[in-house]
Amino acid sequence: MQNRKKVVLNIVASSKIAAPIKIEDLQEKRIVPKMMIRRRLTRNAKIMLYIADQCEFKGGKIVYGSAFGELQATVGITDAIVNATQISPTLFQNSVYNSAPSYFSLLYGDRDEIITLSSGMQTSRDVLRSSALQALVSGEEILCVATECLDIPHIDEVNSCQSYLEMGAGVVLSLAEDSLDAQEIALIEEDGIIDSMKDLWSVVTMAEKGIKKVFVYL
Amino acid sequence: MIKTYINGYESYSCAGDTESLMQTIYANQSCIEIDTSFMPENPVGLGKMGVNDFFATLQEVVNKVLLQSNLEDFSNTLLLVGSSVGGMAESEHHYFKDKNYKNIDPSRHAISVISKSLSHDFSFLDTRCVSTACTSSANAMLLAKRLLSVGAYENILIVGADALCYTTVCGFHALSVLSSKKCTPFSKNREGMNVAEAIAVLLLQNTPTQGAVELLGVGASSDAFHMTNPDPEAKGAISAMQKALDDAGLVAQNIDYINAHGTGTMANDTVEGLAVATLFDNVFISSTKAVTGHTLGASSALEAIISCEVIKHGMIPPQVSLTEVENKALNIPQKALKKEVRYVMSNSFAFGGNNTSLVFGGVE
Repeated sequence: MQNRKKVVLNIVASSKIAAPIKIEDLQEKRIVPKMMIRRRLTRNAKIMLYIADQCEFKGGKIVYGSAFGELQATVGITDAIVNATQISPTLFQNSVYNSAPSYFSLLYGDRDEIITLSSGMQTSRDVLRSSALQALVSGEEILCVATECLDIPHIDEVNSCQSYLEMGAGVVLSLAEDSLDAQEIALIEEDGIIDSMKDLWSVVTMAEKGIKKVFVYL
Repeated sequence: MIKTYINGYESYSCAGDTESLMQTIYANQSCIEIDTSFMPENPVGLGKMGVNDFFATLQEVVNKVLLQSNLEDFSNTLLLVGSSVGGMAESEHHYFKDKNYKNIDPSRHAISVISKSLSHDFSFLDTRCVSTACTSSANAMLLAKRLLSVGAYENILIVGADALCYTTVCGFHALSVLSSKKCTPFSKNREGMNVAEAIAVLLLQNTPTQGAVELLGVGASSDAFHMTNPDPEAKGAISAMQKALDDAGLVAQNIDYINAHGTGTMANDTVEGLAVATLFDNVFISSTKAVTGHTLGASSALEAIISCEVIKHGMIPPQVSLTEVENKALNIPQKALKKEVRYVMSNSFAFGGNNTSLVFGGVE
């Protein structure tokens, strides 16, 4: 790691949220006033939009991550196949991993680049790294956000260790001019937070403690 | 500025390996089969690899790229995967058989099953997985070019990989965009697309080796219009193509050939045709998805390989299965055309209005 290229990033804004089963108040009626869009949103999209709203991010480049993507849509499709019922076109369009940031793009008219990563338990680490790259190359502020929504029926058949089934964390990052007071990311072990979220969750926690700059390896 | 060279590649699709694929393209043939195994009452054209073990084939293709490279191993190489479904086929297999999730391994369901599988067979410096639906491997190449340009890595292996599964075949059927025949991109009476599977692997490095092709430009945008339908004014597609040209330091007149996204759906081909006709003047364009089908997250990597081959062969691919051209403003060759090809653009567009264009050039 010592020889890897790293950049210094300002944490411009940050937000995180989690719940054991379902996050109750994502303020979707305020954030997404148009019912036609709101009723199609996935849970990942609602959480991602909430995080972006809390960070006051209205447009620009986004790097989004989710290890397991749109499980609820995927389950809806496979159930329809098993039960020989019609697949909802909305479920299928919502099943792709980039659904959440695409809804942000629709909502805010954001025509900029969207990158979505799904690197297993390294997802939020890679979201941070790719955000650092985008900040370095573009010189612009980047919304760096990850969500996981594991709240599907019978999830206990495959999940025995995650006590939070919905969670999201995000930061707006910009390239820092210097490394004064910048800190390495201190990974925080927090019970119930899935490893795929750990790096970004830790950065938000650092920001909540007043840390304003972090080193991120590319 | 550090440049990005594509120093090696290999692929496997319904048309076989890369050599076989190019022979099929230039012979003006399609490898699509009409299939009823996924939906017995709804025959659809599919591009099937015909292999028993997708991950064993993945390992073989990656190994071929390693053997043709100047590397002893991948220990100083970043693996960058682009995939839209990851391990979905395996999860479906268990769920359809058991009707529960008990035998599904979550780590083999996710997109990262591809990097996990390859990390078992090879040792990489690091791994990262991109999943933006049908632009997945194009965005992997976009990130790779930028990572190489800032000196973060010396070698990056791009793996575009997607296997056929019920979710995608039945899902696209639910959107009413599948063709029951071999797809006919840019044809007036086209019926839709053919879902397909493929593995496409490219080694990108910061110094060229013999026969290298340069990845000159990358451009990306979002439509901000609709989750599945492209912006009818083609603003997103035009923006991605213009950004790729700007990044390459080229103008539209420099491009000799465009490998189109060209899925064969009414929506895509109309909008992509409009975008190309707006930005370019009489450039050759064709869609090789008429040969391979739409290989989803693997398609951009597969078509990047085709683009490199077009430069090396100096031969423009014909539009296979073309009947009557819908957009007469497009210059769509019906036969393979021998000519010097210096610069090729490859387009990829995805659900969510995600657009990425890549520009390739020969190395003097």
